[in-house]
Amino acid sequence: MTEEYDVEFVERTDREARFLVRGVTPAFANGIRRAMLADVPTMAIDTVRFVENSSVMFDEQLALRLGLVPLTTPPVGEFVEDDTVTLSIDVEGPATAYSGDLVSSDDLVQPADDNVPIIDLKDDQRLEAEADTVLERGKGHAKHQGAVAAGYRHLQRVEVVDDVPEFEDEQSQIVRGVIEDDGELIPTSEFDHDLSNRYPGKEIELEDVPNAFVFHVETDGSFPVEEIVTRAADTIEARATELEEAVQL
Amino acid sequence: MELRVTESTEDELSIEIAGEDHTFMNVLKGALLEHDDIGAATYDVNPEQSGGQTEPILTIKTDGGVDPLEALEEAAVDVREKATTFRDAFEAAA
Amino acid sequence: MMVPVRCFTCGTVVGEHWEEFDERANEGDEDPQEVLDELGVDRYCCRRMLVSHTDLVDVVSPYQ
Repeated sequence: MTEEYDVEFVERTDREARFLVRGVTPAFANGIRRAMLADVPTMAIDTVRFVENSSVMFDEQLALRLGLVPLTTPPVGEFVEDDTVTLSIDVEGPATAYSGDLVSSDDLVQPADDNVPIIDLKDDQRLEAEADTVLERGKGHAKHQGAVAAGYRHLQRVEVVDDVPEFEDEQSQIVRGVIEDDGELIPTSEFDHDLSNRYPGKEIELEDVPNAFVFHVETDGSFPVEEIVTRAADTIEARATELEEAVQL
Repeated sequence: MELRVTESTEDELSIEIAGEDHTFMNVLKGALLEHDDIGAATYDVNPEQSGGQTEPILTIKTDGGVDPLEALEEAAVDVREKATTFRDAFEAAA
Repeated sequence: MMVPVRCFTCGTVVGEHWEEFDERANEGDEDPQEVLDELGVDRYCCRRMLVSHTDLVDVVSPYQ
């Protein structure tokens, strides 16, 4: 079976993207979405050894906060699942300990955001700790979830049917996502999500374009958006290959 | 991925695919249903907390023209190809 | 106590915006809505994380 997929970017920044995929089945679109959320491994702190913690929060509370800090995830093949990288933090009050104060033993694994406050330290309070990271999947803990708010909507096709009858009030018609008008892709944010702004005085019909999905993906900074999509496709491919081999036996 | 056949006749197959969830099972089921000789394909999963059978069980019924296990293998190939063509199309656009 | 690092619902990192939000909307007199829009905190799940947060470190620190 050879399918023709067609991918087109609608919006793109480093950490957020909206792209249209044509020719995918709903099942496959959902598989990609779920794989992005739960099956792409990312680095996160998992074990913390506290040397000194005289702050107002308990060790385990700080360990949770450290775990939630997104770390850049190394390229495929650099690390396998049981490898660890150690990060250390040493901050003395009065000061605030930030995620940027984490010093990593490996350049590939660094805090993705430098100014997440970890704990506010007062006079004579001190935080000194060593943290080990693990490469894990979002299925096990939300801190390993690389994609944030990943989802998709049908592409909507707009058709102008008629003019609004002369004595009828114009009603707003709200739609969110991306519309297709004569082959042109327009994010609904361009007209404040209201079709009556774009087609004043017209009667509009909307329909879902079959097998065309507009994905919206954000990442937590672990890796760029393109990376998370391709890695999600790779996890599905890996499982299909595994099944293929298992069936042959 | 551990496979365990729970029921098997000439045109019907029930197979447990351990360690998988909706992410893969639904894609696989979708690929099976696109197959010409498949009459029915479905899978059933129970929540982890429910105890008992918590691994997904895939059931395939063919129209008789093909061995269900072979159809499953073809579907796995289809899913793999879908994933690679999707990735290639995505990388071409990116 | 301290701002949550991530949004409970969607997982976006919101902690990094807290200090600016606090300074401008809580200490200052800017409109929280505008500040959040400028910070790029778009979804209401993430917005409530910042709007409803109170720092308690100063309150509990005398009782250590």
